[in-house]
Amino acid sequence: MAEEEDEAVFDDDLDDGAGGADGSHGKRKRLFSKELRCMMYGFGDDQNPYTESVDILEDLVIEFVTEMTHKAMSIGRQGRVQVEDIVFLIRKDPRKFARVKDLLTMNEELKRARKAFDEANYGS
Amino acid sequence: MADPARIKTESNSEKSLAARESPKTEDIEEVPVTSDADTESKDPSSQSLKQDSVAGDDEDEGTSDQPASKKLKVEPEKKKEKRQKVDEDEIQKMQVLVSSFSEEQLNRYEMYRRSAFPKAAIKRLIQSITGSSVSQNVVIAMSGISKVFAGEIVEEALDVCEKWGDTPPLQPKHMREAVRRLKSREQIPNTKHKNILFH
Repeated sequence: MAEEEDEAVFDDDLDDGAGGADGSHGKRKRLFSKELRCMMYGFGDDQNPYTESVDILEDLVIEFVTEMTHKAMSIGRQGRVQVEDIVFLIRKDPRKFARVKDLLTMNEELKRARKAFDEANYGS
Repeated sequence: MADPARIKTESNSEKSLAARESPKTEDIEEVPVTSDADTESKDPSSQSLKQDSVAGDDEDEGTSDQPASKKLKVEPEKKKEKRQKVDEDEIQKMQVLVSSFSEEQLNRYEMYRRSAFPKAAIKRLIQSITGSSVSQNVVIAMSGISKVFAGEIVEEALDVCEKWGDTPPLQPKHMREAVRRLKSREQIPNTKHKNILFH
């Protein structure tokens, strides 16, 4: 059973972007429409969520990321965003804190495993 | 899915915490995620994170003659075994659960696990705000908590939807009410409103 989440690929393909003249954010292109739809279905919504709801959620997520970034820039090393700052900011929220720890631990394990695998291949 | 119950908290500087945490192991068995994360959040978070990236156990030093430190070493060992057992139990239970899913549930579970924000877009967004580059770990962390955030909103909106007697798909009014509720619980960060204490 897949215990680890698939890593998202680093690709520059932003998204189909149904450019909505949305009331709250003007003409900004939609960044996460496809992914958010899948996410909403995964979290319990209908298989085809309403586009307006997806837009609202995207605005909320972008605002969340923006706020966290600003806060992280103001603590620790000024003007930079570091992992420790993010961890400090969500220390009070048990779910997010646990999730970040899991993700970073898993990332380390994967890096180690990949490195060991590459060295094994290189040796033989 | 890896579970914070596996994250080790023992270290030399946290011996006092180790003694305090042993009565809490009962909590860990019942609610692996949240209560353990609660005890975790009391520790200096950067310290526990650094320990996680160290592969080896640092509690198996040579046994010293002092009874106090020896007693404290036995407790972390027992806790570690207990925690590993809890881990395996949870993995087994998850396997049993997933094997009994219907097809629709399997689809939904697959979407739940696999959906993620594109790292490139998140990186671009963060960099447009900071003006300087950010490390990969920051992008990983930010995508992860954004997904949890989106999940919290959708779950709250589903509660609202059910309470109002509507059916999914979620409508904007449900989302807005969900945001209003989360705001009152301070789960939505908002730095735009300043509380001036002495006016």
